[in-house]
Amino acid sequence: MEGLFSLSGAVTTVVILLITVFLFCEGLGLFKSSAVEKGYVLCVNSANPVNSLKSYDIKQIFDYEIENWINVAGDYDKEITVFRFEEVFDRYSEDELGADYNLLPEKLGEIISSDAGIIAFIPEKYTPKNVEGVKILKENNISLSDFFAGSEWIPTATPAPQFGVLPLITGTLWVSLFAILIALPLGIGVAVYLSELAGERMRKLLKPLIELLAGIPSVVYGFFGLIVLVPLVQRVFNLSVGETGFTGSVILAIMALPTIISVAEDAMRNTPRAMREASLALGATHWQTIYKVIIPYAASGISAAVVLGIGRAIGETMAVLMVTGNAAVIPATLFEPVRTIPATIAAELGETAAGSSHYQALFLLGCILFIITMLISITAEMISKRQLNKGL
Amino acid sequence: MIQAKDINFYYGDFHALKNISMQIDTNTVTAFIGPSGCGKSTFLRLFNRMNDLISDTRLTGECIVDGEDIYNKNVNVDELRKKVGMVFQKPNPFPKSIFENVAYGLRVNGINNKNFIKQSVEESLTSAALWDEVKDKLKKSAFELSGGQQQRLCIARALAIKPSVLLMDEPASALDPISTSKIEELIYNLKKNYTIVIVTHNMQQAARVSDKTGFFMLGELIEFSDTKKMFLNPDKQQTQNYITGRFG
Amino acid sequence: MNKKINQSIAFWIFRLLGLLVVGLLFWILGFIIYNGISVINWEFLTTAPSDGMTSGGIFPAIVGTCCLMAGSVVVAFPIGVMSAIYTNEYAGNGKIVKFIRIMTNNLSGIPSIIFGLFGMTLFVNSMGWGDSIIAGSFTLGLLVLPLVIRTTEEALKAIPDSFRTGSYALGATKLQTIRRVILPMAFPNILTGLILAVGRVSGETAPILFTAAAYFLPKLPSSIFDQVMALPYHLYVISTSGTDLEATRPMAYGTALVLIAIVLLVNLLASTLRRYFVKKVKTN
Repeated sequence: MEGLFSLSGAVTTVVILLITVFLFCEGLGLFKSSAVEKGYVLCVNSANPVNSLKSYDIKQIFDYEIENWINVAGDYDKEITVFRFEEVFDRYSEDELGADYNLLPEKLGEIISSDAGIIAFIPEKYTPKNVEGVKILKENNISLSDFFAGSEWIPTATPAPQFGVLPLITGTLWVSLFAILIALPLGIGVAVYLSELAGERMRKLLKPLIELLAGIPSVVYGFFGLIVLVPLVQRVFNLSVGETGFTGSVILAIMALPTIISVAEDAMRNTPRAMREASLALGATHWQTIYKVIIPYAASGISAAVVLGIGRAIGETMAVLMVTGNAAVIPATLFEPVRTIPATIAAELGETAAGSSHYQALFLLGCILFIITMLISITAEMISKRQLNKGL
Repeated sequence: MIQAKDINFYYGDFHALKNISMQIDTNTVTAFIGPSGCGKSTFLRLFNRMNDLISDTRLTGECIVDGEDIYNKNVNVDELRKKVGMVFQKPNPFPKSIFENVAYGLRVNGINNKNFIKQSVEESLTSAALWDEVKDKLKKSAFELSGGQQQRLCIARALAIKPSVLLMDEPASALDPISTSKIEELIYNLKKNYTIVIVTHNMQQAARVSDKTGFFMLGELIEFSDTKKMFLNPDKQQTQNYITGRFG
Repeated sequence: MNKKINQSIAFWIFRLLGLLVVGLLFWILGFIIYNGISVINWEFLTTAPSDGMTSGGIFPAIVGTCCLMAGSVVVAFPIGVMSAIYTNEYAGNGKIVKFIRIMTNNLSGIPSIIFGLFGMTLFVNSMGWGDSIIAGSFTLGLLVLPLVIRTTEEALKAIPDSFRTGSYALGATKLQTIRRVILPMAFPNILTGLILAVGRVSGETAPILFTAAAYFLPKLPSSIFDQVMALPYHLYVISTSGTDLEATRPMAYGTALVLIAIVLLVNLLASTLRRYFVKKVKTN
């Protein structure tokens, strides 16, 4: 029996460990998977000095953003011809390709070797092997910088899906930080009102009701945001869409308010009587006592709550998913659609095949989120432990 | 000069002070003694209206400080508290630096002149016999001081706003004997410039520091007279019993 | 007098702010109750959705959410209570306990979507349970585990040591003391904590997205390995991705109200329970 107790004692540690292992196992696989879609290769003419291409360059080329090899391959001044596999059927009839497409590799070889500027995106099994004039580009794995420094998140792009996490991280941070910026002053204000100004009866009535609001599911807040806030934001700020980062911040702020109010109020009421009396006895007014003694005294309690609030906001999924519009671009202002990490996972995981690079990328997002929230938990821990008697 | 006339004070239904009148002269030390719960602290806290902070209390009678009834509706409580300083039972410095603790009273009363504040802080700390011990660490947190030093800091803090009256609610009860004697010495020195009212549990302390002593019991002022007389030859039997330690 | 004026200005601002924010929060509550109340009737609560979610009710979602609530209790309760007993009664006050507490705190800070990911890899894929009640229950159970541990620990801490020493003095073993003295006394508070945890489970969406929830199932689950509909997921789905969002609005309002009602009920139950037991302890 006692063994069972100590075993359960370890359960939270074990769960955290398991989460870490599973998330990272899946997520880190991304860096082992090819930048190009599975089962396909890229080929160029053998005159081309390029041996391998970065994921982002591939995307740029196939989007016709880069039109000359000189931009990626030093001094090879040739116009790029983009060749997608499907085009082979425009150039050759079914008969010419032979039964079971057995002549297909040969034909592809012809195409590639005849155009010095070509880049061809073709299935691996039809690759022209050992054909003069064809060079298969070396498989490049998705790199750390593709992921962490990439500024585009387009998991469905072919041939090279883009897993740049920057827009998602910026989106997450913008939305959460702005939410706290809204919620913090309001929350502290209400806490001041409740703990210092409201009568005892008012406080006893409001406090449990506010705590109740903290328990309302996030999807309900999201629903409210969708129905009321989104059209409101669109109208007030005269935008083309109401689903913006700002809307997300507001709904997150509303969700964070009950907790912040409740914790800040507790912290203020815990200010020792002696502190209040000392201040008042020196001729300070009640208001001076509040902002010079009570709020500073409660600060460490409040800041721990704020840090945890930020953690919640960063990890909040549903409400944000429902109101931010989910556009994966680095936002220029808060008044355009943004996308956060949790919302991305929630929205996209259902559509990915297990083990695909998209799936792994989503797990890696989970890892990032996990690390961020762990750091926040530890910070909060440290703040609440920091003894008040440091004073300053 | 402080004058209390027919003071009655109630916490809810509890009659905490019963018909108390007393006159406290300028530049004297007056001690209140009596068993726990006798109302001596409550009476002390009337003089700077600290009891206002407790809800459901009621007062009748007059309390006159410097010729003005402090419970008059027109009285500005903050101004009153500036004039009547207070030191509490447990040292209660703010979680700020030593300097800022002393400067607090000046700042909340609208004084911003840096030089003036600096000078006042030094003066107050000197009067509280703390300057030499802290002059090199004014920026350090007040919590780094010992209990006795903290209490002297609280006295300095009260002195900084130049009150005329200083109320002390058992200022040495949480301190060790050496710190206590320092505080007592300080009280003796402060008498020159301030009217001091001190509540104490410790009868020897009352005997050592005060000019006059009031003995409270069950909300009544049993006896109020010169300290010497009180301890050598009290009028009332109850006082005699208390002083000789038969109860309380 | 300047500072007096400052004070009254400040206080009026705070009063206004207080009423404004509190008003806003209650407006949200009122808005959903007002719009949802007309939707709720017996049929809504007891039939399955029909006509592409535009009519019918939410019965399967209610049943599904109840299954998940019950399932997560089964997972979280024994482990959580035992874990709290270990840290509070056995482990003393050393480094191990500090470490466990920090880990429990950290676990409670992990976003629910991460639990979803984790539950999907471990329970749905590795264990091969598929999207099912059991996978969802385990995921949600782990999610509320820190809450159960913390409330249980608080309940245990509230019992004065004199009861423990009193029991030891009569020759009882530690285990007997825990079983016969500590647990019965702490039970009401443990139960309240558990009820609040269940309330939390009822509203979680992200963890069940990939572990249990189904978009639409006309029939009720027959085993724990079946997928289920769930209220929060249902609300998400019908408010964001229906074919005719306007027509499903009333359904969404109704579902939101049912979710709020569950939270209200759970809180009410918890506080009544606490009051009832406090009274009982006092009269004993």
